[in-house]
Amino acid sequence: MELTILFYVFAALTIIPAFVVVFSRSLIYAAFSLLFTFLGVAGLYVLLSADFIAVAQIMVYIGGIMILLVFGVMLTKQATDVEISTGIMKTLPALIVVGFALGTLIMVLTGASWTQIGTIPQIEGTALELGELLMTTFVLPFEVAGILLLVAVMGAALIARKPKEVQS
Amino acid sequence: MIEIIFNSIPSFWPEITMSLTFVVSMIVEFSIGRKEKSSTGMTTGLFVLAGFIITILQLPFQNPEPRLLFGTMYSVDPFAMFFKYLILATGIVIIVFSMQSAELRKQRAIGEFYSFIAAMTFGMMLMTGASHLLMIYLAIEVVSISSFILSGFSKSLHRSSEASLKYVLFGGAASGVMLYGMSLLYGLTGALDIFQIQAGLASGVFVPQEADFAVLMISIIMILVGFGYKISAVPFHFWTPDVYEGAPITVTAYLAVASKAAGFAIMIRFFYVTFFDSMVDIGKWVSLPHFEWNIVLAVLAVITMTLGNVVAVWQDNLKRMLAYSSIAHAGYILMGAVVMTDLGISAMLMYFVIYFFMNLGAFYVVMAVADRIGSEHIDDYRGLGKRAPIVSVGLSVFLVSLTGLPPLAGFIGKWMLFSAVVEANFIWLAIIGVINSAISLYYYARVFRNMYLREPLNGDTSPITFSPLVIVTTILFIVPNIIFGLYFGPLVSYAQHSVRIFLP
Repeated sequence: MELTILFYVFAALTIIPAFVVVFSRSLIYAAFSLLFTFLGVAGLYVLLSADFIAVAQIMVYIGGIMILLVFGVMLTKQATDVEISTGIMKTLPALIVVGFALGTLIMVLTGASWTQIGTIPQIEGTALELGELLMTTFVLPFEVAGILLLVAVMGAALIARKPKEVQS
Repeated sequence: MIEIIFNSIPSFWPEITMSLTFVVSMIVEFSIGRKEKSSTGMTTGLFVLAGFIITILQLPFQNPEPRLLFGTMYSVDPFAMFFKYLILATGIVIIVFSMQSAELRKQRAIGEFYSFIAAMTFGMMLMTGASHLLMIYLAIEVVSISSFILSGFSKSLHRSSEASLKYVLFGGAASGVMLYGMSLLYGLTGALDIFQIQAGLASGVFVPQEADFAVLMISIIMILVGFGYKISAVPFHFWTPDVYEGAPITVTAYLAVASKAAGFAIMIRFFYVTFFDSMVDIGKWVSLPHFEWNIVLAVLAVITMTLGNVVAVWQDNLKRMLAYSSIAHAGYILMGAVVMTDLGISAMLMYFVIYFFMNLGAFYVVMAVADRIGSEHIDDYRGLGKRAPIVSVGLSVFLVSLTGLPPLAGFIGKWMLFSAVVEANFIWLAIIGVINSAISLYYYARVFRNMYLREPLNGDTSPITFSPLVIVTTILFIVPNIIFGLYFGPLVSYAQHSVRIFLP
């Protein structure tokens, strides 16, 4: 019962700031609301007994990405008073598409008979088991993810660098 | 599990070599490449080229007997092997082209360009064999991220940056939708590797209700968004013309040939294995009841080739025209997947080899001409037949081959595809394909007319000289286009030999 109440608390914490992110006209408000969304998602992970992912979510998203985002917004000139163009354009087509997508997803979520993989066993933290799995069953995806991150980091550095003067 | 990993590694050497090529080439670039006086990136380029050659030499030692590596993560079979040869061969050609490209030489950090080619190739090699949803996603993502970077490589060019940004936005959205679809599939079946998903669907354990078929269909369509984006099938093609036009032309050629081939490889494996029911006779695949995914693909094939060909008619930039023509070709190739026969698969494989020669040749000529006259506009090709005879003949051969007229290789490719489609009683599909080939003749013919029948706009009839290297490369691409049009027996038998896909 308490868990159900907690679930709704975290769900609200995720969704309400998400609305602010989408509809807010100020970049700063949007960035800070995103913080609460990330926090809410971390709470949902805890409720699912995914403690490692919850901590990773807080460390990576709130600790890293969020701070970068806020700094990025603050260091960008005039970001605080710039009006982002979330103007109302093509409302009707957008509504139809979004409504259709929402309807489909609700039908999917309620209609399907999802596979139950049993109840969650009481385990003392998931970090140990995750580590073992990453080094055995999932060793190939783990390594490929390493390459993927290296590509992304090098590419980001390359794109951010100043372009050379074009040789004559 | 540890034994499985250790037993898998010897069969995994080509992929390991390619990933090492990527990582070490970065070190080579930073330690040696930067100290070169003229920053042509030649050191790194040659290093990566050597890595590619070593990898392709290792492939014959990767026993093609169908089996699984690393548990269920990765399949090795003749089908994947075929695509690996194709991708590596394309990669080698692209590196050699890039070394000649004047457009790229203007860029800083050209050495890194070759490193990212290696990273992209590593991803594509994984795409040919990935048989686990996690691996499928990661492999696609390695290719996507590398190609975002490569397509924005000419940073000084506005259109290159725009292309890269558009590519990132479309790519992000497409992989997001694909992941959502995969999570639905996982939620229904409780399995991540395609063999267990197939087993679950076949036994009906996971899907007892009527409503679940709708959910499954939705998840399949969502996954198809990710694949469709990779092969640039309509309606997931919006990024293609802009990216193909804006990216450095060697990257465009790589995207049009290798990346598309890898996308087809992963798509065929996913659909054929996941919804496999049984084999009737020899080489006739039957999918599980209620999963008529090939009808979805048939619709996709029709709109892809029709839209690609019709829009290409209005293009004045040759690069953009080739982009739409490559969309249309994705439509033709999709027909081979629709019919669900080994004949269809082997026709697709053959088409890829022929497509490699005709499309890379066309892109190469456009690149060489753009390097000399600084334009890809169709009006600047006026009178090219007199100003640069050999190159013009080359472009004509490639375009005629792309149209699919005899006696060139493109005709054989189309003929095999259409006959596989007719054999499987999809006559309406074949008719639409033939009509589309006729439309494509129109826009290719515009290029011939400008090259041979019209005088140059500014009356400049001075001959354009090309370096002997360009002439030799052009001829090297003309030759297979003619040979495979007349003598295609070995190619057919190799393609037929390569249709075996790993099944549990």
